[in-house]
Amino acid sequence: MKSKYGGYMGRVIQLDLSTKQATDYPWTDKDRELYIGGKIMAAKILSDIFTGSEDPLGEENVIVISTGPLTGTGAPSSSRFNISTLSPLTGILASSNCGGTFGYYLKKAGYDALILKGKCDKHTWLEINNNKFVFHTAEDMWGTKISGCQQMLDEKLNEKGNSKYGHICIGPAGENLVKYAAVLSGERAAGRAGVGAVFGAKNIKAITAAGNHIIPVYDREKTVEWNKKWFNYLKKHPLTGSQLPRLGTAGLVSSMQMRGLLATKNYTYGHNDNFEKVNGETLAEQYNVVNKGCLTCPIKCARTVTVDGKEVKGPELETLGLLAGGILNDELNLVNRWNSELDELGMDTISAANTIAYAMEAKEKGLWDAGLEFGRTDNISQIWEDIAYRRGVGNELAEGSRYLSRKYGGEDFAMNVKGLELAAYEPRMAAGQGLGYAVSNRGGCHLNGGYLVIREGLGLRTDPNTPKAKADFTMLFQNLMEMISASGQCLFTSYAFFPGFLLTQPDGPITKVCNAAIPHIGWALRAINKCPDVLALHLPVFHHTKIFGYALNMPMNFGRYIRCGERGYTLERYVNARFGITAENDTLPRKLADIPQDKNNPKTVVPLERMKKTYYAARGWDKNGVPTEATLRRLKIK
Amino acid sequence: MVKVKLFGLLRLDSGVKEFATEAERVKDIYQVLIEMAGKNGKTITAKNISSCAVLVNGQQANKNTKLKDGDQVIFMSMVAGG
Repeated sequence: MKSKYGGYMGRVIQLDLSTKQATDYPWTDKDRELYIGGKIMAAKILSDIFTGSEDPLGEENVIVISTGPLTGTGAPSSSRFNISTLSPLTGILASSNCGGTFGYYLKKAGYDALILKGKCDKHTWLEINNNKFVFHTAEDMWGTKISGCQQMLDEKLNEKGNSKYGHICIGPAGENLVKYAAVLSGERAAGRAGVGAVFGAKNIKAITAAGNHIIPVYDREKTVEWNKKWFNYLKKHPLTGSQLPRLGTAGLVSSMQMRGLLATKNYTYGHNDNFEKVNGETLAEQYNVVNKGCLTCPIKCARTVTVDGKEVKGPELETLGLLAGGILNDELNLVNRWNSELDELGMDTISAANTIAYAMEAKEKGLWDAGLEFGRTDNISQIWEDIAYRRGVGNELAEGSRYLSRKYGGEDFAMNVKGLELAAYEPRMAAGQGLGYAVSNRGGCHLNGGYLVIREGLGLRTDPNTPKAKADFTMLFQNLMEMISASGQCLFTSYAFFPGFLLTQPDGPITKVCNAAIPHIGWALRAINKCPDVLALHLPVFHHTKIFGYALNMPMNFGRYIRCGERGYTLERYVNARFGITAENDTLPRKLADIPQDKNNPKTVVPLERMKKTYYAARGWDKNGVPTEATLRRLKIK
Repeated sequence: MVKVKLFGLLRLDSGVKEFATEAERVKDIYQVLIEMAGKNGKTITAKNISSCAVLVNGQQANKNTKLKDGDQVIFMSMVAGG
């Protein structure tokens, strides 16, 4: 159904992989206003399909690949697309966000989203070109690693005369149903929660998209003007203009070390004594060849390093933290190598790292010997291969840390929430981040959790251990990030939300007042969260709202923006509740919730239960963590 | 003597990783660092340095913090985004 709004292609296509039939999925402008795009749109579609009894690897699972309305409008960092499905790792809703070019080209083909149902009867690569959907055999590609597959796709498309297209594909890990297999678009990955395994289960090796549709923009002149302003703002901001371009996300390692946030030895410690060998500065000084970025991105946070004489994507913070200190490895060149190997196999580096760290601790505690030990690095490359091809012990490691801990014991140190392994932030020195991990809709994710660590020692320095105002901030940040993602933009654009002077004047009077005051303004945030409509305005530090008017002609302001994010977040929870998620699942491994990081400071644990209570109340979820009927109606979900 | 270590952008901007110097207060280190950067062919200012968080022996500090022999001073630009 065509849209009156700019930014949208006006079509959502539903493909039945079993019958190879394509039909239009009804999606109206009312839906666009309520569910915007990306992960929120996908949550709505899947909410209308899932009953709560689906098997993630069964034919009945559904994949939604969705774009945001800002993709293709020239807005900064707006090439993101989303893959949502039922996760084989967690058994609940997965939403995995990715850069690269596929989202842009899916829109060029004429579609805002693609819904994949059923299962291909043989290994397939799906070619989308405008109105054509061609199911090609992928027998020749099946078994290839990511770069090999991408090269074959390039050759096949170039032979057809296509030069402008995007593709996504899985590697051996996805083919072999590794529970944390990824989908890759160029160098970028939809890495989390095992979306690649669902592709594998449906026999889809790759999807390509191309077309010659024009992505509509409501007022091109004003859109261009606003985007120019926005680009300049991001380029001048200390985080998005300096730190991320020059150090990448790896630049956080040192800062996290100083704040006790650097997960070390499977989150036993928050400090890594050898961090200087494996930090962002060393990466920048000794290994980085060039910075890279996604389409329309001024931030360019990606690194390029050399492995065996070949230029490959460098590690991001999570990979660097977890595959260095996390397993007591202090060789950065090994992290570079492993990162590349995991990408080639099509596996999530975060879950892979945490899963082997669990195995190392299990060996140390005498529970299970998988041949993995803290500090031993000689067999890691082989382990990745064994996992991806499910050989020997790799077959079990392919199931993730939750499965292993249930089988061999050690749930206290299997570092996952709801089955999804945690990021590199050690939350005992960032209580709000701990809450975020616990309640995050897709499991233990730092971003879906609200990324409160940005004000708990990294960007700002409010009291990291107090629970005060953390629940309210978590809800606000989650809602904001939900909407940024749904719009098609990178979450990193949100960091410019913090005025630059708060970061460049850490001891300035205003910064000090902010740091001191923030824990005491929970009541104000609660009021905003409850009635965001009072903020029917545009904030000068938050460019994300005005672009909706210029590019889409869709009414938007800060309050409405937060409300849309809230709708998405609660909708995802509503779907998860169908799969049995309650307050009991919003938990943390005992290591983080009960054992202080600093034995002499009992406050260095995550005071989870107290924050959860406030959080549920703020969200309008009941004590069991389930959205109430009134909340669902208020948010127009029902 | 105090031991000084640099992290984040200040390290890249100055080309200085670590050094030892005499200093009674944190701000006494500024000029030493500016000169060291100059020797590396780089230009930094006191403003660049004061935009960093300072830790003395792992504890939060500021430019007026008094130092004693053997202290470790860390300058670290504020970062976020992972």
